[in-house]
Amino acid sequence: MAVTGRLGLLALLGALLPLLVPSWWTLLAVWAVLAFGVIVDVAFAGNVRALELHRAGDTSVRLGEAARVALIVENAGRRRVRARLRDVWPPSAGAAPRVVRIDVPAGERRRIEMTLTPTRRGDRDAVTVVVRSRGPLGLAARQLSRPAPWRVRVLPAFPSRRHLPAKLARLRELTGANVAQIRGQGTEFDSLREYVAGDDVRSIDWRATARRGDVVVRTWRPEQNRRLYLVLDTGRTSAGRVGDVPRLDCSMDAALLLGALASRAGDRVDLLAYDRRVRARVEGTSRTDVLTAMVQAMAPLEPALVESDAAGMVSALLARVRQRSLVVLLTDLNAAAIEEGLYPVLPRLTARHLVLVAAVSDPRAAAMARARGDLVSAYDAAAAERARAERDRLTAELRAFGVEVVDAPPDRIAPALADAYLALKAAGRL
Amino acid sequence: MTVPTARQVAGRRLRASRGVAGALLAIVLVAIVLAALRPATPADALDPASPDQDGARALTEILRQRGTPLTVARTTTDAAEHSTSDSVVVVTRPGRLTRADLLRLSAAPGDLVLVAPSARVLAALAPTVEEGGQSYGDSGPPDCPVPAAQQAGSVAFGSSLTYTVPPGATGCYRESGLARLVQVPVGSRTVTILGSAAPLTNAHLDEEGDAALALNLVGARSSAVWLVPDLPPPGADRGDRSLGDMVPFGWRLLPVGLAVAIVLIALWRMRRFGPVVAEALPVVVRSAETIEGRSRLYRAHHARGSAAAALRASARARLVPLLGLPRGAATDPAAAPEIVTAVARRTTHDEAAVGYALYGPEPADDAALVALPGLLDDLERQVRDS
Repeated sequence: MAVTGRLGLLALLGALLPLLVPSWWTLLAVWAVLAFGVIVDVAFAGNVRALELHRAGDTSVRLGEAARVALIVENAGRRRVRARLRDVWPPSAGAAPRVVRIDVPAGERRRIEMTLTPTRRGDRDAVTVVVRSRGPLGLAARQLSRPAPWRVRVLPAFPSRRHLPAKLARLRELTGANVAQIRGQGTEFDSLREYVAGDDVRSIDWRATARRGDVVVRTWRPEQNRRLYLVLDTGRTSAGRVGDVPRLDCSMDAALLLGALASRAGDRVDLLAYDRRVRARVEGTSRTDVLTAMVQAMAPLEPALVESDAAGMVSALLARVRQRSLVVLLTDLNAAAIEEGLYPVLPRLTARHLVLVAAVSDPRAAAMARARGDLVSAYDAAAAERARAERDRLTAELRAFGVEVVDAPPDRIAPALADAYLALKAAGRL
Repeated sequence: MTVPTARQVAGRRLRASRGVAGALLAIVLVAIVLAALRPATPADALDPASPDQDGARALTEILRQRGTPLTVARTTTDAAEHSTSDSVVVVTRPGRLTRADLLRLSAAPGDLVLVAPSARVLAALAPTVEEGGQSYGDSGPPDCPVPAAQQAGSVAFGSSLTYTVPPGATGCYRESGLARLVQVPVGSRTVTILGSAAPLTNAHLDEEGDAALALNLVGARSSAVWLVPDLPPPGADRGDRSLGDMVPFGWRLLPVGLAVAIVLIALWRMRRFGPVVAEALPVVVRSAETIEGRSRLYRAHHARGSAAAALRASARARLVPLLGLPRGAATDPAAAPEIVTAVARRTTHDEAAVGYALYGPEPADDAALVALPGLLDDLERQVRDS
């Protein structure tokens, strides 16, 4: 039950009537008429309970894009429903329009198109649908909330996918048929082909040459079916905002580019998100599905404000992975977290796997280090230089452990990580 | 921009407040002039205690000396209480009497002397007499049988009101048919109407027959009540009608109707269209916050030494690879002379300056600390370009 503005307006006009006919009866008559109108409206308003709500449309959307979700209102009652309808979503779902007018005759259905422009990653659930069904006089209405569940998963934006064609071209150069590779560790035999001037004579396959009567060379390509394990640190260091984006989102972007690249390169890609427990895990999916699976797994991840448990993470990893793999640890070069958490367990990891640490650096720190001019900027520069020295020390120490380190600002971390992977692959170190 | 002296500031403030002070002064002056020009009746006119020109102290003192008991009343209630059938109530400044006062006086016993009454007062206390006009002639023979007037002879009235003399009344000091003194019987009492207050005042009591007239009128009976009414409270004479009584009934219903309408409008606005959706928001922590915090701590504690050490260490770390020295040399104190010499050779700075820049003591003041990053930048650039 709800009254309308029209009722208030009429009551306001009715309050002026006693000026013309000065009597209590005038006022009472006005009120009686209005009360009667309200009763009529409530009695003859379309039945909200008889409405059946269905949904259709997108169930996932990439962050920054718009999803279309339809709400289908079916009137199973005997009276026409004229109403205002509000499809209630959380604010960050960016649902529009907020309120729509519907007019559904008995036994018919209407389709309402909602556009969702989410502002954050994660799952967005429709809360409820509120219908305010107006009576024939427009003085009062019946209002009711009806559930119409729907979930839209907002996936990571993956802005670095624009780098993918370039990196794939580099990858094709590495693996490609047109460049004869020198045989080395981590490469495997690819094919035999005719000698072309310029080919390394050491790669001539004499036995095949004898068989064919023509000079034939062997070509090599980087080994395929290597294994990549991407580990996302979702602990406290991932919550810090770099620019306007949490570090975790930058790490995800880099992980997605690397995953896409590695799966095209024929490597197996697995994903683990961990802080003090496993937040998400993608394992054993086929090469074509891995990107979709990773994106779906990453969508609901949020940074947890706890110190990451590196020992637990390494245990979770080692328990699953027997084969030698490239473990890509996406975290931050934070002295306390690395020294106290990672160092004690790092030898266990490096003993069996190749470890690559990818960290997102903050451009703000670099800007502060360049600040000059007054006392504030002098102290800012000093503090930033100190932080940078700390990062450099950690990088050096990690490299001493035999760990590869990629430290880049958010706009370059994804291509830098892809380049590091390609360099490792070219060097046959996978 | 120079800092102004206290004198300049004071002068500026004075100039700024000149206008305000001038306006205030003008307001005070205007108020004084208006007060001086205001032709108000002094508060103590005809007051028996007032020795002023227009007071009545002389008359009342003489009366008391002559043995007539005189009561001073400030309200009509008081006056009615003290008046007896053998008394005279002198009503001065009757313009101040309210309707209720007049009713009370007309019910009180004894004679009345009204001093310059208006038509309203006359209607209540001497209904047959009407107000005539103003007369300015100073004196004349009484020309009437009233004993007091006869004994007084001619009287200095000053400007005086005049009254009609109805049948049965006695009029004295007539001028063109209208009397300045009227004595009229009203019921069992005698009401004397005096057109002017002048014969009663201190200033005029000694002129002509004023004293005789006044003493004979006031002291005509065995006792006298001198009524000097206080100013009535505002609205005292209006009666029982409140503002609400004057508003038409229809208008009085308006607030009721409006209140109901407002309640309905409030109900309309109050009904929420669907629930408020709460959402867990992600925490916002800027990644550079720790660095900014460290910078503020340095600044708060004037940690020039630590700040300079951090700047120097990072500059050395960047210089050492450029000089072709092993990376460890940047943190090795033993390599200091080698680094300084190498840098000085490639730059325009001498060894002392380079030594200060890379290994110097804590900067002596803030200016030295501010200059240090610039110096280090310069060294690095020159080494890079060499």
